[in-house]
Amino acid sequence: MEYNGGAIIAMKGKGCVAIAADRRFGIQALTLGTDFQKVFSATDKIYFGLAGLATDVQTLLSNRIPSPTPPFEFTSSRPIQSFFLKTKADICSEKFRMKVDMYHLREEREISPKTFAHMVSSTLYEKRFGGYFVFPTVAGLDANNEPYICNMDGIGCITTPNDFVVSGTAENQLYGMCESLWEPNLEPEDLFETISQALLNGVDRDAISGWGGIVHVITPEGVITRTLKGRMD
Amino acid sequence: MGDRYSFSLTTFSPSGKLVQIEYALAAVNKGVTSVGLKGTNGIVIATERKSHSPLLEDNSIEKVSVICRNIGVVYSGMGPDARILLDKARKSAQEYKRIYLEEPSVMIMVKEIASIMQEFTQSGGVRPFGVSLLIAGFDDLGPSLYQVDPSGSYFAWKASAIGKNMINAKTFLEKRYSETMELEDAVHTAILTLKEGYEGTMAESGIEIGIAYLEHTTTKEGDKIQQGRFKKLSEPEIKDYLANL
Amino acid sequence: MPATAPATTTTTSPAAVKSMFPQAKSLSMASSAKPALSLQADTKSVATRSIAPESIKSTTSTSTQQSLTARALFEVLLGITGKDFVLTASDDTCARGIVVQKRGEDKSRALNKNNLMLFTGEAGDTTQFAEYIQCNTQLYRIRNGMDLSTRAVSSYVRKELATSLRSRHPYTVNLLIGGVDPKTGTPELYWLDYLSSCVKLNYAAHGYASYFCMSTMDRYWKPELSVEEAISLLKKCLAELKVRFIGNLPNFVVKITDKDGIREIEI
Repeated sequence: MEYNGGAIIAMKGKGCVAIAADRRFGIQALTLGTDFQKVFSATDKIYFGLAGLATDVQTLLSNRIPSPTPPFEFTSSRPIQSFFLKTKADICSEKFRMKVDMYHLREEREISPKTFAHMVSSTLYEKRFGGYFVFPTVAGLDANNEPYICNMDGIGCITTPNDFVVSGTAENQLYGMCESLWEPNLEPEDLFETISQALLNGVDRDAISGWGGIVHVITPEGVITRTLKGRMD
Repeated sequence: MGDRYSFSLTTFSPSGKLVQIEYALAAVNKGVTSVGLKGTNGIVIATERKSHSPLLEDNSIEKVSVICRNIGVVYSGMGPDARILLDKARKSAQEYKRIYLEEPSVMIMVKEIASIMQEFTQSGGVRPFGVSLLIAGFDDLGPSLYQVDPSGSYFAWKASAIGKNMINAKTFLEKRYSETMELEDAVHTAILTLKEGYEGTMAESGIEIGIAYLEHTTTKEGDKIQQGRFKKLSEPEIKDYLANL
Repeated sequence: MPATAPATTTTTSPAAVKSMFPQAKSLSMASSAKPALSLQADTKSVATRSIAPESIKSTTSTSTQQSLTARALFEVLLGITGKDFVLTASDDTCARGIVVQKRGEDKSRALNKNNLMLFTGEAGDTTQFAEYIQCNTQLYRIRNGMDLSTRAVSSYVRKELATSLRSRHPYTVNLLIGGVDPKTGTPELYWLDYLSSCVKLNYAAHGYASYFCMSTMDRYWKPELSVEEAISLLKKCLAELKVRFIGNLPNFVVKITDKDGIREIEI
């Protein structure tokens, strides 16, 4: 995990969830890219992020290199339910994109966050010995718009707390920030502020995470995506 | 020469038939009658438990079986063939659960079983399954009842019957079935349907019944949850139903 | 048909597992509330991981791999995107141990008319892998009557390298892929390391050179560089290497990739 660095948080709010990640890509202390994508959407209501070794993040998530800069603020209204190839190729993943698409085609229904998380978990555990060095975080709303968050270790052991989850090299700092900033029943805008502050201030104390961040707040009405400018050093 | 196309099951006859499949259906139609009904809040499947001899242990016969926690099945036709399918279905359900930590939906289970049955109409060196199945289950979409035939085709029914007495049973069901029927009534109707073609007097050991329903439970944390379930009715339970006919 | 790596079935002995996960104990208790974070991917375990689990038993191959990676660090690859071109430079030195074996080596291969791939790494792996990719991109053209874009090539190379990474004998190569869109002339530059991490960058460097040159390029690179400006920036980088880098790299092969193709230039 210390090879590329990175930081990911997910938080529960009132009828909404948020997920945030830093944007740095580097090899140990050397920063190379500042727009690396670690968070992807599985469906309109499920986002997931992978902290860990960049090559495995890409293998599992994105064989496609994401477009350089996402729009500064982009609020998607949810499109009409169409189960066919629900995920957008550009913003989703290689291995997991395939699995989610196959699920939607086979089951003719949308995957729930919990089911998705278990799918990720069993995918990781398949390679229990010599696995992927990734630490996934899942955030989403289920069919009743109940918030769901979880994260797991490199071999798929799931933790589902009621408040927030953190992962990456800045984990300890993020725990501290989240512990002091998070409170129950935050509205989407307050949740955005909380998760953003936690992320930016957390990664400032980690040398190999940072270079701004990206935040997705998932609400029943749509997803609010914003990029954050941090210390940028 | 008329039998030229009845050997290899993967060969069409000139009229476009795979006659082995038709023979398999004939085997089903010789089998013991099974019925399935959909109620507003559940499904019932039922069949006769026929023993060839009074010396046979009745309870050693199982024709209504649990596939997984929310899905069950009953067959008409050849018992050993049904057992193979049941094994495969159970295994597939557990594989599904291992990946998603969730019971498969009825549709998924039906598709799985139907595709196995289809495979046996197109592979070399095998014969089709000599069974039709009624699959009952309860999932996110509510209760559903499917029939799967030896060809691998499947249909969703409000009520259906398979086996020897199929035609009479279906006629009976068409008369007695109502969409507003609840599970309790459905069980009664299922028993009555079986009774139509039943030889002798019906005792609780003479039939098997399975129901798919919604179970309401409260977790340790106090959350109320609802889960689809399938269970077989015990002999005392069946006895009660018979008494209240 | 591109050769696909055979699927490897892993049968790992408990001892091998233990050598792979020194903290295996905490892993086996991973079902406790907090996720076990003992799969630390520091440099050492990354190098270890980069060979397939079944070959982990051989400790010699692990150490060889690391030293080879270390030698590749002395090789220099640079890439700068400009307005409608990519300027690339690679040192022309082949060294083994402490001995320079050859000067005048071109550490790049043209994949097609508008895409160039530069490589460093373990001798043998480099040209073998580069020419394998070269052959397949050309095969693609013959089959489909069109060339792969830079983005498509990088994606293809990444997948090849990622598959190789989890095989018994992974390729140890670091790559830069530079190219332009033959219609619009838009330049693209992709940076890939031997672990197959792939990023699109405006300017890039491999090896120790990155420590010397990235800051220079951070300072002087701007969008829409002209050829002259890019060459001037490249010269600044090479001058920095001459002054501060311990390696003796007198000559560089400098190439420009643009709409018209790939050409070598003198600077």
